[in-house]
Amino acid sequence: MGSSLTIWERLLTLPQILGETPVLAIAMTILAFFAANRLYIAIGRPVWLPPVMPAAAILAGMIALLGLDVDSYLEGAGWLMLLLGPATVALGVPLYQNIHHIRAMLWPIIFTLPIAALLAVVYTLAIAWALGASPTVMASLAPKSVTAPIALGIGASIGSSVPLLMAALLITGVFTTLFVEVATRLLKITDERIIGFALGLNGHAVGTVRAFEISTTAGAFSSLGMSLTGLFTALFLPIMFRL
Amino acid sequence: MRATSVIHLRNIWAPLMSILRGFLVLVLFFLLGESLRLVFMVPVSGGILGLMILTLYSSVTGGVGNSVASASQALISVLILLIMPGLTEIFFISSKFSGQWLAVGVSLLVGTFLSVVTTLVLMNVLTRKSCSGSGRHG
Repeated sequence: MGSSLTIWERLLTLPQILGETPVLAIAMTILAFFAANRLYIAIGRPVWLPPVMPAAAILAGMIALLGLDVDSYLEGAGWLMLLLGPATVALGVPLYQNIHHIRAMLWPIIFTLPIAALLAVVYTLAIAWALGASPTVMASLAPKSVTAPIALGIGASIGSSVPLLMAALLITGVFTTLFVEVATRLLKITDERIIGFALGLNGHAVGTVRAFEISTTAGAFSSLGMSLTGLFTALFLPIMFRL
Repeated sequence: MRATSVIHLRNIWAPLMSILRGFLVLVLFFLLGESLRLVFMVPVSGGILGLMILTLYSSVTGGVGNSVASASQALISVLILLIMPGLTEIFFISSKFSGQWLAVGVSLLVGTFLSVVTTLVLMNVLTRKSCSGSGRHG
């Protein structure tokens, strides 16, 4: 195997060869996770920077540095992302533990959800349309506030571009964490239940990660906002696009 | 010496086994959600369906066991690890849709800001109303 190559040449092809198994991708992801954690603490946990951003940036840097193909990385990381299914189910535990809080806020939640989830789509589509976005781009932006597995299902039925949809989704998550931070200060809102719900409704899993940093109650409300928005959008968006 | 090492092993082993048992329960709920999605062709992901079934199941039976609670806590604490790979892709797809990035960027930026403010204001107003309506304050 490669005996005609020098030791340096073999060393240089190492990332490609190891990249064929998911182990390298998994190791890189976990490494970037810990490196980003350290960096995030070192720079004093700035509120304007969602921690997932430095983590993704370090990871992207590692992929570029090793000269790996991003698709082959994603294929390997897919093994890690298999855990997203059970992790989503796991959100049901804090949700149940906070059920008394949710019961107390049942009516505000029921009223806010359809209006806010619908407007999340309408605002963005109206602006994109005014700026001359193509129909494919509009279809890719529409499910932006929905958690990835549901959004991909919606995208398939309304004709989205998958990479653009994923990008819109994650950028929205990052913007949501940022704007919730800014807006709660401007509006002087300190209720963790409201903050959590806004994070999950607009920023799906990325917002939920942030909400769990605030508290378990915020996390529970975020999980609730995320699931309800997913359900509601999955039902109304395909109908809206058919019209 | 030997006795202490046995105790040490037990101290690590018991919570690990408990987490593994809890993880199994979560995976089973996920599989149940996926099965429902596939059989009834629901447009919602198996994970979200599993989440809802688990919450419903907990309300009926009065809660989940310690093992499920600790497995859930473990998974939630590494949630960021699971969404990082997808986010990384953004750094590599910027060449596609080159003429549309202004529309994409501005609509996401402004649209998200507006919808965040809408959610916060609506929830804030409605919560205050429902609190004063039922005679409770706080």
